[in-house]
Amino acid sequence: MAGLLTTPAPQRTQESGSPRKTRGGRGPGTVRAFRATPFTYATLIVVAAILSMPLVFVGSIALSSDATVNTNSFTLFPTEFHWENFSRVFGSELPMGRFLINSVIISLCSVAGQMLSSGLVGYAFARLRAPGKNTLFLIVIATMMIPTQITMIPQFILFRDLGWVNTYLPLIVPNFFSNAFNVFLVRQFVSRLPSTLDEAAMVDGLGFFGIYRRIMLPMLWPVLIAIGIFTLTHTWGDFMGPLIYLNDESKMPLSLGIQYITSTSAAGQSPAWNLVMVGSVLLALPMIIVYYLGQKYLYEMDISGGSAGVK
Amino acid sequence: MATISKTASTAVPKTSESSKRRRREALWFYLFVSPWMIGFLVFLFGPMIASVYYSMTDWDSFTAPTWVGLQNYVTLITDDPRFWKTLWHTFYYAAVSVPLGLVLGLWLANLLNKQVRARKLLRTLIYLPTLVPLVATAMIFRQVLAPNGPLNDALGLFGVSGPAWLLDGDWAIPALVVMSAWSAGAATVLLLAAMKGIPKELYEAAEVDGAGAVRQFWSITLPHLTPIIFFNLIMGMIGAFQVFAQVYILVPKGKLRAAYDGAETMVPYLFDEAFGNYHMGYASAISWLLFLVVLVFTLIAFRTARRWVFYETEVK
Repeated sequence: MAGLLTTPAPQRTQESGSPRKTRGGRGPGTVRAFRATPFTYATLIVVAAILSMPLVFVGSIALSSDATVNTNSFTLFPTEFHWENFSRVFGSELPMGRFLINSVIISLCSVAGQMLSSGLVGYAFARLRAPGKNTLFLIVIATMMIPTQITMIPQFILFRDLGWVNTYLPLIVPNFFSNAFNVFLVRQFVSRLPSTLDEAAMVDGLGFFGIYRRIMLPMLWPVLIAIGIFTLTHTWGDFMGPLIYLNDESKMPLSLGIQYITSTSAAGQSPAWNLVMVGSVLLALPMIIVYYLGQKYLYEMDISGGSAGVK
Repeated sequence: MATISKTASTAVPKTSESSKRRRREALWFYLFVSPWMIGFLVFLFGPMIASVYYSMTDWDSFTAPTWVGLQNYVTLITDDPRFWKTLWHTFYYAAVSVPLGLVLGLWLANLLNKQVRARKLLRTLIYLPTLVPLVATAMIFRQVLAPNGPLNDALGLFGVSGPAWLLDGDWAIPALVVMSAWSAGAATVLLLAAMKGIPKELYEAAEVDGAGAVRQFWSITLPHLTPIIFFNLIMGMIGAFQVFAQVYILVPKGKLRAAYDGAETMVPYLFDEAFGNYHMGYASAISWLLFLVVLVFTLIAFRTARRWVFYETEVK
């Protein structure tokens, strides 16, 4: 979660300010620092294997029979293949289908909210002139430093008084007001686009909203998709938010749901670890797919943003 | 609104025309940024003020709050061993996991920066764990770190009999660190990107001067990466101080806790006070102390940064 969220940030902040260009980043290196020795390969392979092991283990548990769960005799590599576990979680045993739908609703609404609002706000900060703008932008930057824990309790009181506890609203609505990081991202992106574009549009009689809608929005897609990906990663894996606001099992997203299953199993009985791990796979897989499909946008955003970028 | 329609009229003198256009632009600016401004006031600024007030009250969130001034803070600092314990655990976790993550990330990035085959595949394998949501990671490591789990099996191959990790108070924080190290790949990607930006000529020149790979790493790669390392240090520290989901899910609760208080950190304590015991005022005070701690450490990092973070402009 945090990984994706922070990925492009240093790119912009550190690289964008420096006048340095990437030179020959990929040429065949004869320099000693770039030479790969057999030792390099051995180390990398061992590290990659160690890092993959937990994922192999998850698969192994997810495919275990209930008998194996009861005796807790899991093996690192799968020895039994109960593929039906993957369909069982959608049956009557566990409400995991419900959890999944809740996750999708909450995440997609949050993504839409951030994409809608961040574009407008970021564009305005980049292009429009108004008294007090610089002060406001300074506040935007400053708010990035405030830990969420400070506002956690008052926000809870606010949403409780609004009667929003045990609904999706506290998890979705704040996203329609954008956030500092995304505003900053869009502003940086827009300020690198040639201003002759909007000037020409203005001469042609477009208003500010028209310029945003017809000229800016089509060009903003890479950065908006990146924002969508960050928001999705954040809300999909979010645990604390749902934990505070949702106590009804039928409203829980997957992240809270699978924890709920493990914490409420009857005393002395071990939770259905095989099904919990199927849930973990369902939780992780969309993120991996989204990253795989979305990485070109993340990188495109960086490149067209004018920084050195990840290549 | 009247001003907007009037600007269309051509009869208006030029100067007032442009001032009107400017006013219209400002109006649109405030319209466009209003989502952020409303969000700031309702979800951030308002709650912050409220939080300061709550932190000076005794309040269960159901009845009227009682003003107690600085009492919550005084109690926390002078008369709450659990607070000090969570503070210590948080320090411990941050002090080990953040540097370890940086060193691992740097090491891996340096390996991947070489002319290796299948670099894309290796990079993906190293990055994959950071894509797994924390809750799933916690579920996975609950099994990986089980007393008879694969980690202890692996240690057994080397003749080491592993601890009970999460079930053993002394080993719970190291267990959380192991879990955090699994996701060190996030830093790797950033560092790798920055490494690509270092001019190759520098290495060629160093080669001519007879510098080996190790020397090249210390004298060229590392200094160029200090801005990114610094950024990762700050973000890592802030993240580590706010660690929640892992601890909440992995650290035993209820009757198990009596025999064990190994790894409770600040945010889970805050959460427990607020939503478990409904001590809203006390919990608000914890949140401000947490903020203070993070602030102090961030400031210290910025202070020392001058000595070891090099920016391109200074080098030249």
